[in-house]
Amino acid sequence: MSSSTHLLETLNHCLAQAMERGIGKNGLTFPISCEEFQDPSCRCFCENLEQIFGQINETYRLAEALANGQLKAEVSRSNIFAMPLKALQSSLRHLTWQTNQVAAGDLSQQVTFLGEFSESFNHMIESLRDKKSLEQRLKTITDVIGEGIYLVDTKGALLFANPEAEKLLGYGIEEMAGKIILHAIHKQVADGTLFAPEETRLLHAIANGQTYNDNDCVFTCKSGRLMPVSLACRPVVTGDSLEGAVLAFHDISEQKKYQESLHKINALLDMQASTDGLTGIYNRAKFSKLLKVEIARAARYGSAMSILMFDIDKFKDVNDTYGHQSGDKVLIEMARAIHHNIRSTEIVARWGGEEFIIIAPGCGLEQGRQLADILRLKVEQTAFSVPRKITVSFGVAVFRADDTEISLTNRADTALYRAKENGRNRVETEDSPADPV
Amino acid sequence: MKKAYDFSWQDLGDLTAGRPNLGGETSVAIYRLMQFTFKDILSKELGREKTSELFVKAGYLAGREFCRNMLSTALPFNEFIADLKLKLIDLKVGILQVEQADMERFEFILTVSEDLDCSGLPIFGETVCDYDEGFIAGVLREYTGKEFTARELDCWATGDRTCRFVVKPVER
Ligand SMILES: [Zn+2]
Repeated sequence: MSSSTHLLETLNHCLAQAMERGIGKNGLTFPISCEEFQDPSCRCFCENLEQIFGQINETYRLAEALANGQLKAEVSRSNIFAMPLKALQSSLRHLTWQTNQVAAGDLSQQVTFLGEFSESFNHMIESLRDKKSLEQRLKTITDVIGEGIYLVDTKGALLFANPEAEKLLGYGIEEMAGKIILHAIHKQVADGTLFAPEETRLLHAIANGQTYNDNDCVFTCKSGRLMPVSLACRPVVTGDSLEGAVLAFHDISEQKKYQESLHKINALLDMQASTDGLTGIYNRAKFSKLLKVEIARAARYGSAMSILMFDIDKFKDVNDTYGHQSGDKVLIEMARAIHHNIRSTEIVARWGGEEFIIIAPGCGLEQGRQLADILRLKVEQTAFSVPRKITVSFGVAVFRADDTEISLTNRADTALYRAKENGRNRVETEDSPADPV
Repeated sequence: MKKAYDFSWQDLGDLTAGRPNLGGETSVAIYRLMQFTFKDILSKELGREKTSELFVKAGYLAGREFCRNMLSTALPFNEFIADLKLKLIDLKVGILQVEQADMERFEFILTVSEDLDCSGLPIFGETVCDYDEGFIAGVLREYTGKEFTARELDCWATGDRTCRFVVKPVER
């Protein structure tokens, strides 16, 4: 038989202990059996208290579970103490879902009515939105830019490739992600020779955070094709740490082709400017330049040099008899015959009309005369198309220390004139032998 | 017998003209007064189950009309839900939250806190938000074109702090 005083004392002891030690693992234990009480109001009070103890224990366990992140913990519906915790539990479940949504890219999430937490979360969402729009802008830029762009880490492993890079080289980001892209694309020089990518300056630049440019680089496409590229490499640094590098490159095949064709055109123009349109041998302008060079050389080294000027005999008759076309043909055949019979160091050019001129480096006057005579004889023996027989007259002059091109060629011209005077098909040398130089 | 009434959004009237001084808002108590007195009378006339069924139907109609007139069904799902959540807060209907979403099966667990119908009620031991069940199903029907059921698992009136609904498409 228990009295209400006994009930209060026991309760007080139990609560005092709990206040001192906390609720602990086993929870609050209601210290008295309700059956002990005969008095109905006492017994009812006792039963309510026992229920409240039970609800407190349950609430405590729910709080513990939530503290441990167990969001599925359950609690009885009638538990009046657990209600705010249930609201918390619901919010935490929602937050969990929201976080997953954000992780999956859903930035429409907002947290409402959770005070400071709402502020922080919504602030985070705002920054993510900013970042996303920045990313979007960068993506648009890398999408439309006409350059291939690779982002690599410090080892050269591929982190990002823009569509242009995929288009140019044929490697998709999926197949190359995390692989050392340069091992695949940067391993050959323009003629196809392989080299070790690890030893290249490019990989060295990437590893060491250096800026690197190469306007004459070759990348190997997935198809095996070699693509000449112009390449710029810039380090990517976050704070103090080197993250890798950005490689920007574009195809310069067209540019190369253009340069080559420009080269060819220039060579052609150069040739056109320096050759005689009819005969294909040097023209007078080019001859003057070459003569200047040879004079300078002869003057510097004191070497001998002769000038052989010759003229087709009675060329006017050829034109008059057979027509200008035949005359042109004779000129062409003449140029060919002479060109075939001189050495590579000797230079022949058309001086004008039916006159030709030869530079014979290393030849004194006598040697020049001998060469002229050989050539004269060759011409005489050559069968031209019309008329069959053609002869030429030669005037030979030798370089003197004070000679200009004009004085030298004038003396050869005078000698040629004399050869004509003296009956044609012959060689005349300049009047007085040259002073030794 | 008079012809049945067909609801139309325009029937809500022009509140700026009609209530120039009192405005468009009223008290939750008055809203509940109407709802619970309806419940009282209808349950006595038609029985509890029929009443509950009618409340779900009315909620469903309200949800469809609300979606059609207040929400943009062109939005992607996540943004649609975010928009719905904001509107329900703005209109002081309740705080909608998603606890789980299975986007393949289109099954959800949604909660509504501070619900207009039930928050702060005494604990009756049973869920009372029949109208909300219909409302949620109606909104989703209008957005997806598919029929849904929403069943209230927990309610303020069952001792919870939020109303928790399981939402599933109707199996065909
Ligand atoms: Zn409810």
